[in-house]
Amino acid sequence: MESVAPYKEIVELVEQSGGESFRLCYQCGLCDAVCPWNRVTSFSMRRIIREGVFGLTEIEGEEIWRCTTCGTCPQRCPRGVNQIEAGVALRKIATDYGIFPASVKPIRTVSASLVGEGNPLNQERANRANWAQGLAVKSYQEGTEILYFACCYPSYDARLKKVARATATVLGKAGVDFGILGPKENCCGESIRKTGDEQLFKRLARENMKSFIEHGVRKILVSSPHCYHTFKNEYPNLGMNLQVVHISQYLWELIRDGRLQVKGEFPKSITYHDPCYLGRHNNVFEEPRDVLKSIPGVEFLEMPDQREGSLCCGGGGGRIWMETARNERFSDLRVQQAVETGAQVLVTSCPYCITNFEDSRLNRPDSDAIEIKEITEVLAEVV
Amino acid sequence: MDIRSDTLKLLERLSTANCADVLVVGGGISGIQACLDLGTAGFKVFLVEESPAIGGHMALLDKTFPTNDCSMCIESPKFIECSRHQNIEIMTYTEVERLEGEPGDFKVTLLKKPRYVLEDVCTGCTTCVEYCPVKVPDPFNQDISKNKAIHIYFSQAIPLVTYIDENCLYLKEKKCRICQTVCKNKAIDFTQKPERVEVKVGAVILAPGYKIVDRQMLERYGYGRLQNVVTSLEYERILCSTGPYEGEIRRASDLKHPRKLAWIHCVGSRTVLPGGNSYCSAVCCTYTQKQVILTKDHDAEAQCTIFHNDIRSYGKDFERFYQRTERLPGIRFVRSYVSVVGENPETKAVRIRYSTFEEGVKEEEFDMVVLSVGLRPPAGAEELAKIFGIELNEHGFCKTNPGNPIETTRPGIYVSGAFQGPVDIPESVVSASGAGSQCGELLRRRRGKLATERVYPAERDVSQEEPRVGVFVCHCGANIGRVVDVPSVVEYALSLPHVAHAQEQLFSCSSDSAKAIADTIQEKGLNRVIVAACTPRTHEPLFRDTLRMAGINQYFFDMANIREHCSWVHSREKEEATEKAKDIVRMSVARSRMLEPLEEFYLPVDKRALVVGGGIAGMTCALSIAEQGHEVYLLEKEDELGGIARRLHYTLEGIDVQNHLRHLIEKVNRHPLIHVFLGASILGCKGYVGNFTTSVRSQGRVQEIRHGAAVIATGAEEYEPTEYLYGQDPRVLTNIELEELIAKREERILGAQSIAMIQCVGCRNQERNYCSRICCSHSVKNALKLKELNPAVDIYVLFRDMRTYGFREDSYREAAEKGVRFIRYEPQSMPEVEAATEEGRSVLKVSCPDYVLGKKLELSVDLVALAAAVIPSAKTRELAQLFKVNMNPDGFFQEAHVKLRPVDFGADGVYLCGTAHYPKHIPEAVSQAYGAAGRVLTLLSQDRIVASGSVCEVNEQRCVGCGACISCCTYGAIDFRETPQGRKAAVNPVLCKGDGLCNTKCPTGAIFLKHYKDEQVYAQIESFLSELEQSAEEAKKATGTGGH
Repeated sequence: MESVAPYKEIVELVEQSGGESFRLCYQCGLCDAVCPWNRVTSFSMRRIIREGVFGLTEIEGEEIWRCTTCGTCPQRCPRGVNQIEAGVALRKIATDYGIFPASVKPIRTVSASLVGEGNPLNQERANRANWAQGLAVKSYQEGTEILYFACCYPSYDARLKKVARATATVLGKAGVDFGILGPKENCCGESIRKTGDEQLFKRLARENMKSFIEHGVRKILVSSPHCYHTFKNEYPNLGMNLQVVHISQYLWELIRDGRLQVKGEFPKSITYHDPCYLGRHNNVFEEPRDVLKSIPGVEFLEMPDQREGSLCCGGGGGRIWMETARNERFSDLRVQQAVETGAQVLVTSCPYCITNFEDSRLNRPDSDAIEIKEITEVLAEVV
Repeated sequence: MDIRSDTLKLLERLSTANCADVLVVGGGISGIQACLDLGTAGFKVFLVEESPAIGGHMALLDKTFPTNDCSMCIESPKFIECSRHQNIEIMTYTEVERLEGEPGDFKVTLLKKPRYVLEDVCTGCTTCVEYCPVKVPDPFNQDISKNKAIHIYFSQAIPLVTYIDENCLYLKEKKCRICQTVCKNKAIDFTQKPERVEVKVGAVILAPGYKIVDRQMLERYGYGRLQNVVTSLEYERILCSTGPYEGEIRRASDLKHPRKLAWIHCVGSRTVLPGGNSYCSAVCCTYTQKQVILTKDHDAEAQCTIFHNDIRSYGKDFERFYQRTERLPGIRFVRSYVSVVGENPETKAVRIRYSTFEEGVKEEEFDMVVLSVGLRPPAGAEELAKIFGIELNEHGFCKTNPGNPIETTRPGIYVSGAFQGPVDIPESVVSASGAGSQCGELLRRRRGKLATERVYPAERDVSQEEPRVGVFVCHCGANIGRVVDVPSVVEYALSLPHVAHAQEQLFSCSSDSAKAIADTIQEKGLNRVIVAACTPRTHEPLFRDTLRMAGINQYFFDMANIREHCSWVHSREKEEATEKAKDIVRMSVARSRMLEPLEEFYLPVDKRALVVGGGIAGMTCALSIAEQGHEVYLLEKEDELGGIARRLHYTLEGIDVQNHLRHLIEKVNRHPLIHVFLGASILGCKGYVGNFTTSVRSQGRVQEIRHGAAVIATGAEEYEPTEYLYGQDPRVLTNIELEELIAKREERILGAQSIAMIQCVGCRNQERNYCSRICCSHSVKNALKLKELNPAVDIYVLFRDMRTYGFREDSYREAAEKGVRFIRYEPQSMPEVEAATEEGRSVLKVSCPDYVLGKKLELSVDLVALAAAVIPSAKTRELAQLFKVNMNPDGFFQEAHVKLRPVDFGADGVYLCGTAHYPKHIPEAVSQAYGAAGRVLTLLSQDRIVASGSVCEVNEQRCVGCGACISCCTYGAIDFRETPQGRKAAVNPVLCKGDGLCNTKCPTGAIFLKHYKDEQVYAQIESFLSELEQSAEEAKKATGTGGH
């Protein structure tokens, strides 16, 4: 057996970077038992923690980059270890040293794009509002009721632009007074923060906050649970306190208050996937279900892994930008679970989830077995 | 007089004189024990229980660890003792509403809930239950099986009367009332309303027990969603012969016998998640092992997996129990917490994911999963705290004083049992006796004022009567009835000569059965009674008392054991078992015809006590006895009081040990009734319960001390390690040495940069096969202290299982939070320690594998602290011989019964407390010290004691004075006596335990044991042989072969 000695300097570095809660671990192994990685390959959060405790972390390795920050293990950890925060601490160290293993290399391009253009997709800042072309979407001005913050993916990605457009359409139907900031907004920074680039996150956040303040924004509507999470839980620590609402919550509010009339039928069976950052991280479980169940014609089916037990799509924690081997994609399992319910449509409410699920769907031999839709897209068909 | 009229009388007394000395709240084993001790020690007690019967959680259990005694069998005699006790009044289905007043003078308002059944009229015949149309989940069976809206709480319930629950059609919709129609005794009363009763008491003992973790926590493990996931409490009922499946292990989905089972440890315990307990529930590891052993008893092929994170076998004999479980075939202990991910849709097997060190995460299916659920404060604890004006601790249990864990924050209100925090049965019994002692201190002037004595009717002279034998055959629920054909045994008994009556009974030990026996004795003029049931060890006193109440000499009773000796050992041979049961009954009948009435002896009790050992336990015990007005002789072998505590300084509970000790010694020295003997050694001990004479040498003087009771509190010692360079390198210390140096603020300790602590040094090994219980917490305590003094110090604790049971788990987590690192090692690769030089610095290299890293960790430290075993005091064996008491295999003193007599010795009048019993923490030793004092008082408060009639006697004409009997008697009960015919053996009937060993040694048959005389035993044997010959005869005839 190989002999190792605790590396005190590294322990201190890990702890200073936010890994102090590793100390609490009593090695019960529950984090490994619940981790989605162990459904596709072998991965040990317990070992990552243990290595952190003794300063034996392999900073240059792939393992510290695996965690999708899905939130399952911290939710179940009996000792109160914050695996996400502590895991990000390890990535901070790697980022500071500029060490990225092969699968993580794309992060460099992403960072450059975020710095330069305010989005991770290498798209021009100027084109950020292009998705709204042809729709009656106004620029946000002081006094507008709601800022719709579309997220980078719905702003630029071909598939996800449909989501942004559907959202604008539905909001329009409901007579909501909303606007967008277009090029004056940046990526929210949630995911780059999880890769350990605290500086970049802060920079993006400050710019956003400045923009929000300049425009007198009071209420932000978001499509992405990641934007939701950071605006709601992380920006306040930087000094911003705005009302943040996720589209699934807002849709339910509009329907419940009668502002949005569901006119048509959606005669299909639907299953709903809880995005990690909406469900587990922020406890929004019922509103999206309420919205879907309120649509006439919908047959609502649940997958076995649901609500707090939802299976991550694999896109959180910056993984959306990293390489994941073909046979290690959680989204493949998730789409399979959805297909097994017998549902015709897999609905969710997160741009990352949509991206991964569409990918998994297309890679299936029976790629027409199921449709992937964002919740607003479903609603846009019936209002 | 029967039990029911007894109860009636008591109830009458309650309405006129609603005064008692003590109110005990909670009728579980702790409350029951407190009542029995106080009642026996001359106090009148009210026992209030909110459920319809006394018994508490212990009544729900199938067996108890680590002896696997039948829980009901050892507890139910106590129910009956309580219900028959002249100084105890039981009020079930009753809650406490208000308390006012002050110690010595409390006024308590009780609320008696309506049972809708007249307790004093109902005979418990259960006809109403049969006719009741409403089936409801049975609360006693954890809602697994059904009962009726009117039912008796459980078969052995005290009081054995029905109650009507809220599902009753009449109560809900004013319909039905069938029960009223069918009740021949007109016991149903729907007009009952909640009734307020005001009582006056001098003190209160709170013993409300615990509840299991909340459902929210269970749901995380699929409970409620997956049919084959059950709680451990439900599983207890499933295991039990009176349970929902009559003792067969079945699972809910298909009622099949599960083959592959899993237990999940720490459900709701050791977790900081919302709804969970941060503490360890202290009992689950061992009760899980018990359930596994019992499961294997039910089905030898069963495969059992236990998922855990540390096995906490910290109690006496627990380590052996753990090994016994581990060695069974098909048993796996897996060190991993688990996730219940769902079920197999076809087989309904439960899918579990767990992690392994070598092979990563695995998923496996189990037919059935048992959740080893943790303990929470009792339901309504907050309300209780408000009513009694006491404070709760941060976990919602009763806040206690660490220096006296029986004390609540309000004077005159004491706490015992699991309301103190999670504890097992013996500790609940100990604290009950302890609470009794503290009530005795408070109320000592009232002792005996309200108490009454039990009165028996005059005994019938049956010397001129022919034997008329009554035989009562017990089903013992299904324990016997499932194997033995009870009705055919009854029929057979009726065919035997002199049998005037025979009948079957579901539980002969239930109070209605006892009443039936007493009534039958009178109606049919029986003069011999046989109960064919379980063991006389637990139940003989009960039935003898029944005979006394029916006016028959109690030695006309005989017990035929058809359970331990028959149904349990022949469970698979039903026909043969039935035949054997008949043999046993026939033999018992033959014996009973020869029985003689015997008289019991009454002897005066010397009111003084001797306490051996002047440590915390001994001093605490001595003080509590003295505070109750008895003189105490306190012996200490050293020249100073204090014992091992003189070397201790602080505890996790926050006791300043030296300060505590100083106060204690002061109180002891100042107490006029305590006589301290320092530098004392015991030269000899003569006598017997109530009348001991001990000769003591102290400071050059020899003195004879006469006393009625003795308490052994001689403590334990720290093992002197031979491992890990101890004694060779001054940097290797024991835990106590480290503690002393910390207390002295020694520079080499405070200045150390890194320290390794190695657990289990000198125990949990072949030589000492037990866990020293205190060392995990001791190391954590030292680590926290060191971190407090020098936050930069690196501390590594090398452990096998962290056994920080109970609230100490919080300190374990706190230590981790402060940066103490815990490294688990396994006995097959023990840590290594060697002196080395590193970067010019002399260090100690400590290495051991880490199973998560899969690598060997090498630590360079300045100090190594060894958690050295706690070992029995060197004097243990000598004392055991002097006081004729037993030791366990590990060399600690052995109590009379691990569960229910935890501070008594088998030898009457001798008691036990502190680490002489087993390693324990200071609060536990204090609790036990009060417990021993409480037990001592049950003896010393008597003016006389009773000695058994079944003792040996010498036929002097036959005695040749050889002394063989004297040398073999382990109780020293036989001595020579000079007679005109020479030296003859003479038995002291008080010391004689009636074991009969001398009978076998006597060459002339001069010494004999009354109640087991030759003719009585021969009658029994002959009755067996004659039948054997007869059947051999018949067999010969049947096969037609000729004889010789």
